[in-house]
Amino acid sequence: MNQPCNSMEPRVMDDDMLKLAVGDQGPQEEAGQLAKQEGILFKDVLSLQLDFRNILRIDNLWQFENLRKLQLDNNIIEKIEGLENLAHLVWLGSSDSHASASQVAGITDLSFNNIETIEGLDTLVNLEDLSLFNNRISKIDSLDALVKLQVLSLGNNRIDNMMNIIYLRRFKCLRTLSLSRNPISEAEDYKMFICAYLPDLMYLDYRRIDDHTKKLAEAKHQYSIDELKHQENLMQAQLEDEQAQREELEKHKTAFVEHLNGSFLFDSMYAEDSEGNNLSYLPGVGELLETYKDKFVIICVNIFEYGLKQQEKRKTELDTFSECVREAIQENQEQGKRKIAKFEEKHLSSLSAIREELELPNIEKMILECSADISELFDALMTLEMQLVEQLEETINMFERNIVDMVGLFIENVQSLMAQCRDLENHHHEKLLEISISTLEKIVEGDLDEDLPNDLRALFVDKDTIVNAVGASHDIHLLKIDNREDELVTRINSWCTRLIDRIHKDEIMRNRKRVKEINQYIDHMQSELDNLECGDILD
Amino acid sequence: MEVLREKVEEEEEAEREEAAEWAEWARMEKMMRPVEVRKEEITLKQETLRDLEKKLSEIQITVSAELPAFTKDTIDISKLPISYKTNTPKEEHLLQVADNFSRQYSHLCPDRVPLFLHPLNECEVPKFVSTTLRPTLMPYPELYNWDSCAQFVSDFLTMVPLPDPLKPTIKKEEKVLPKKYTIKPPRDLCSRFEQEQEVKKQQEIRAQEKKRLREEEERLMEAEKAKPDALHGLRVHSWVLVLSGKREVPENFFIDPFTGHSYSTQDEHFLGIESLWNHKNYWINMQDCWNCCKDLIFDLGDPVRWEYMLLGTDKSQLSLTEEDDSGINDEDDVENLGKEDEDKSFDMPHSWVEQIEISPEAFETRCPNGKKVIQYKRAKLEKWAPYLNSNGLVSRLTTYEDLQCTNILEIKEWYQNREDMLELKHINKTTDLKTDYFKPGHPQALRVHSYKSMQPEMDRVIEFYETARVDGLMKREETPRTMTEYYQGRPDFLSYRHASFGPRVKKLTLSSAESNPRPIVKITERFFRNPAKPAEEDVAERVFLVAEERIQLRYHCREDHITASKREFLRRTEVDSKGNKIIMTPDMCISFEVEPMEHTKKLLYQYEAMMHLKREEKLSRHQVWESELEVLEILKLREEEEAAHTLTISIYDTKRNEKSKEYREAMERMMHEEHLRQVETQLDYLAPFLAQLPPGEKLTCWQAVRLKDECLSDFKQRLINKANLIQARFEKETQELQKKQQWYQENQVTLTPEDEDLYLSYCSQAMFRIRILEQRLNRHKELAPLKYLALEEKLYKDPRLGELQKIFA
Repeated sequence: MNQPCNSMEPRVMDDDMLKLAVGDQGPQEEAGQLAKQEGILFKDVLSLQLDFRNILRIDNLWQFENLRKLQLDNNIIEKIEGLENLAHLVWLGSSDSHASASQVAGITDLSFNNIETIEGLDTLVNLEDLSLFNNRISKIDSLDALVKLQVLSLGNNRIDNMMNIIYLRRFKCLRTLSLSRNPISEAEDYKMFICAYLPDLMYLDYRRIDDHTKKLAEAKHQYSIDELKHQENLMQAQLEDEQAQREELEKHKTAFVEHLNGSFLFDSMYAEDSEGNNLSYLPGVGELLETYKDKFVIICVNIFEYGLKQQEKRKTELDTFSECVREAIQENQEQGKRKIAKFEEKHLSSLSAIREELELPNIEKMILECSADISELFDALMTLEMQLVEQLEETINMFERNIVDMVGLFIENVQSLMAQCRDLENHHHEKLLEISISTLEKIVEGDLDEDLPNDLRALFVDKDTIVNAVGASHDIHLLKIDNREDELVTRINSWCTRLIDRIHKDEIMRNRKRVKEINQYIDHMQSELDNLECGDILD
Repeated sequence: MEVLREKVEEEEEAEREEAAEWAEWARMEKMMRPVEVRKEEITLKQETLRDLEKKLSEIQITVSAELPAFTKDTIDISKLPISYKTNTPKEEHLLQVADNFSRQYSHLCPDRVPLFLHPLNECEVPKFVSTTLRPTLMPYPELYNWDSCAQFVSDFLTMVPLPDPLKPTIKKEEKVLPKKYTIKPPRDLCSRFEQEQEVKKQQEIRAQEKKRLREEEERLMEAEKAKPDALHGLRVHSWVLVLSGKREVPENFFIDPFTGHSYSTQDEHFLGIESLWNHKNYWINMQDCWNCCKDLIFDLGDPVRWEYMLLGTDKSQLSLTEEDDSGINDEDDVENLGKEDEDKSFDMPHSWVEQIEISPEAFETRCPNGKKVIQYKRAKLEKWAPYLNSNGLVSRLTTYEDLQCTNILEIKEWYQNREDMLELKHINKTTDLKTDYFKPGHPQALRVHSYKSMQPEMDRVIEFYETARVDGLMKREETPRTMTEYYQGRPDFLSYRHASFGPRVKKLTLSSAESNPRPIVKITERFFRNPAKPAEEDVAERVFLVAEERIQLRYHCREDHITASKREFLRRTEVDSKGNKIIMTPDMCISFEVEPMEHTKKLLYQYEAMMHLKREEKLSRHQVWESELEVLEILKLREEEEAAHTLTISIYDTKRNEKSKEYREAMERMMHEEHLRQVETQLDYLAPFLAQLPPGEKLTCWQAVRLKDECLSDFKQRLINKANLIQARFEKETQELQKKQQWYQENQVTLTPEDEDLYLSYCSQAMFRIRILEQRLNRHKELAPLKYLALEEKLYKDPRLGELQKIFA
C-alpha cells in the first residue's frame, strides 16, 4: 500500500501518548496552566479521544477509571481488549478503525487489521452508545452485559445472517441501529425484518422508521414473531418459576429447615441403604414402612413449620432492634448537629470580632475564649457519643441475650422433635428385627410361603448376617437423622454468632467513625483559630 | 315589621315543610308577671263566666290593635289580594274558636299573659297566627338547610323595637360577650416549690385580675343594660323551635330569627315559652318555666304539658304524614278535651298569605336595599349585596377600643368578584399595618400582601401562590435594608435567598431617570438536599460576601454524620512579585472536609469551582435585582388595580353581563319580529271564502275565479264601508258644529263668560276633529285603489288559487 497513513508505523498506546492526549484535550487557558502546574491524574479524565493514531492494540487504559467517553476511531485495532476497568464508560466509538487505510485507498480492503469479533465488553454495563462501524465483524455477539445500550452502529461490516437481529431483541433500550453496507442489508426483506423483530427501534440506518412501515412489517412477519414471542414468554415464565422456587428454598434455608416439608429426609435415609430397601420386601414390612414414613413425615413437617415460625419471630426481633438502634443514632445525631450549629453561630461572630479587634491583649483574650469554646464543644460532642455508646452497648447486649435464648429454644425443640424421629426409627428397627428373625426361623424351618428376591434371600443365611444387615440399615438411618440435626444446629449457631459479631463490629465502626469525625472537626476549628492567631500576629 | 315577620314565618315554614320537621313559633315570656299589669283581670275574680269572657276578649282586642301601628306606612295595601283584606267564613269561624279558647284560657289561668292568637295584619284584619304561615319550597339550594336559611332570614330582617317591650313580638336578646382575657398557661418550672409558689402567685394575680375584670364587666354591664334589667323576664320575643325527628335532626333546638344562630333548648337566654304555633295548630305551654326552658319537654302530643287549640293533632309524637292521614277523625278523645263540640270537626284553614316569591335579585341582595349594619358591642358589622359597591366591598367589620365606638382598633373588609382577586383587606389601626389577602388568580400570583406604605424598599411581606409562579417563590419579606425570599419546588433546590443592601451610593452622573440600585453587601442562598448528588457535593448554603469578595459554602450533612463540609473562597485576584497574575493559590480556598478526598485538593478543581461560583454570584445578583424590579412592578400594578377596582362578572350572570345581555336582547327582538311576521302572514284573507267550499279538494278553475271575485268584491265593499263611515262621522261632526254655532249666535247676549269659554274650546276641538276626519277620508280615497290592486296581485300569486295563474299565464 502506498498511503502515507499506512506507511506510518503502528504505534503503541504508551504513557507519553496518553499524557499528550489528556493534556491536549484537558482544560484550556488559565485552568490549563493550573492543570499543567500540578498534572492531571488519568482517573479524573472523563473523555478521551485517540483517533488517527495508528494504534494497533488497545492498552494502558486501566487507569482511566472514570472515563465516560472513549474514541478510538480510525486506527488499526484488531481486537477489543483492555477495556475491563472502564466500567463507567457510556460512549464507545471504535468505528472506522481501519478507515484511514480503506477510505483513502478507495477499495474495500478489509483483509487485515480489523476487529473480527465483538468481545471484551462484558464489564461495560453502563455503555449506551457503541460504534463499530467499518470493521470485519460477522456476528453480533457478546453484548449481553450492555443492558443500557441505546445506539449501536455496525455499518460496513460482514454481518450476513438475519438471525443476528433476533439477538438484538434483548436490548430493551435500543432505539438506533445502523447495519447498512452489510451483506444482510442487501436482502430484500432486510428493512421489514428488522422493523418487525425490533418494534421499539426508532432509527434504522440514520432514517426514522415511520409508523406505517412498522405496521406493514408487523403484518408481514406476524406469524413468526408471534411464535417467537410465545417462546420468549414461555422462557420467561420458566425463568420466573425457577426464580420463585429458588426464593422459596432460600427462605427455608434462612429458617434452617429446608427440605423438611416433605419426605425428603426419609427418602434420603433409604437412598443409600440397600439392605433397608431389600428388607422392605419382607412380608409385613411394606405396611410397617408405610406407617413409619407417615409418622416420620408428620414430625418433619412439624419441625419445618416450627422453624418458619421461629424464623419469623427472629426477624421481627431483629427488625425492632435495628429500628430502635437507628432511631437512637438519629436522635443522637440531631443533638450533635444542633450543638454544632449553635457553636458555629457563636464561633463565627467571635471570629469576626477578633478580626476587627485591634488591641493585642484583647485579641489574645478572645482567642483563648474561642479555644475554650472549642474544647467545650469537643467535650459536649464526646459526652454525647459516649452516652450513645453506653446505651447501645446495653441494648445490643439485651438483644444478644434474647436472640441467643431464642436460638437455644429453637434448637432444643428441634432436638426433641428429632428425638421423636429417632424413637420412631428405633421402634421400626425393633419391629423389623422381629420380622426378620421370624422370617429367618421360617426359612430355617422351610415353611416360607412367599418368594423372596435373591438379594434378600442371600441375607437370610444365619442370624448374625440378618441382624447385622438390619443393624446396618438402622445405623445409616440414625446417621442421616443425626447429620440433619447437626447441620441445622451448626448453621443456626453460626448464623447467630455472625449476626452478633456483625452488630458489634458495626457499632465499633460507627463509634470510631464518629470519634474521628469529631476530632477532625475540632482539629480544623483549632487550626483555623491558630491560623488566625498567626495572621494577626504577623499583621 | 309585620309583613317582614310574616315573610320570615313563611320562609321558615317553607323550609320546615320541605324538611318535614316541626318548627314552632314560640313566644317567650316570663311566667311571672308584675301585678299592676294585670290588675283589671285580677279584680275579676269568680264572676260569671260570660262576663269574664267578655272582658277578656276586649283585652285581647286592645292588645292586637296596637300591632299595625308601625307597619302601616310601609306597605301599599291596595295591591294586596282579597284574602288579605277579608276573612273567609272558615277563618271567621276559626277566630271565634280562638276567642273561645282564649276566654277559657284566661279563666283557667288568670295570672298569665293573654294569648297572642289573632293579631291584625297589614290591612287591619284579624288573622289567626297559624294561618299566617304558608309552607313554600324555594328554588334556592341555600334555603334547603336550616342554617343558611336562617342566615338569609336574619339578613333580611331589620330589628325595630316595639313601642311597648311588654307587648308581643318584642325582641329581647343580649349578645354573648366574646372572651377577651384568656389566662396564660402556667409556666413549666423545674422546682416544684417554685412552681407552686408561682401558681399561688398567679392565682392571686388571676383572682385580682378576675376581680378587676368582673368589676369592669359589671361596670360595663351596668352601663349597657341598666334598662333591660328592670324588665328582665318581661320582654317578649318570637323565635323558631325546630323539633327533632325528621331530616336527621338529632335534637330540638331554637333558632333566633335576628341572628340566624341556633341555640340549644337549654340555653339560658330563653327564659320561658308562653305558646307555640305552626301552620296546623296552636299550643299553650302548661309547664313551669322557673328554670328557663331547661326542663321543658317538647312532646306536643302530651295535653297535660301542651294545651292545644285544635283537635286532631293530639298524637304522642307529632308528624306531618300521620296528621295528613288522620286529620280530625279521632273521635275518641273528644270527651277529654273540655272543648265545645264545634271544635272537634274543625281543621285549620288554608293560609291567606300569598305564596312568597323571592326574585334572584332580591335573594342576592339579601338585606333590604342591599345594605345592613349590625352594631355589636365594640364592633360594627356592615354588609352589602354583591355588586352594590363599585369596588366589590361586601362586608366590613370594624372593631373599636371603647364602648362609644370612637377609637377604631382594626378594620376588616371583605370583597367579592374583584378582578384582582382581592378577598380581604385587613387594616390594623394601632400598628397601621395593612394586609391584603388574595384568592388564587391574581396576575402576579399574590396570596398575601402586608405593608405599611406603598413606597418601595420599606417593610413589607408578600406571599405568593408558589404553584402559579415559574420560579416557585413562596414569600418575599422586605425591610429597608434586606430582602428575603423563600422558594419551594424548584429544580435547582433553592429554598431561601437573603440579600442585604448597603446604603445607596450617590451617583455623580446627572441622569436621575437612570435607576440607581442599592449595592448588595451579602447574598445568602440555601438549598434543599438534592437526592441525586452525594451529600458532600450538595451545597446546603452559600454566602456571597460581595463587599469582602468572599464566598462561603456549607455542604449538606451526610446521613450518618454530624458535621458538614465547608469551603471558603477568597476571590481577590492578586499579582505576584513578578507582576504575573496569580490564578489560584492554595490559600485562596480554605476548606474543611468531613471525609477528605483527593480530587478536591487539586487546584484545578478549586479553580473550576470558584469560576462556577463567580458565575453563580453574578446570576444571583441579577436575580436580586430582578426581584427588586418585580416588587416595583407589583406595587405599581396594585396601585392601578386599587384605582380601577374593576369587578368580574360571571358569564352565567345574565343580568350583569353587558355583552350577553345585549346579545340576549337582540335575540329577543329578533324573535319578536319573527313572530310578528308570522302573525301577519298567517292572516288569511281567503279563509272565510274557502270555508264555504268543501275542504281538502283542489279548486277548479271556475271556483278559483269565483273565489277571487268574491274576495275582491268583499274587500271593495269594506273599503266603501270604511269610506262611508268616515264620511258619516265627518257629516255628523259638521252638523253638530253648525248647530252649536247657531245656538251661540242665538244666545250670544245672555251667555256668561264661562259658557263662552266652553263654547270656544268646543269649537276649536270640533274643528280639529273635522279636520282630522277630512284628512283621513282623503287618504282613504287615495289608498283604497292601491290596496285593492295589492290584494288582487296577492290573490293571483296565492298558491291555493293556482288555477288563476294558469288562466292568466
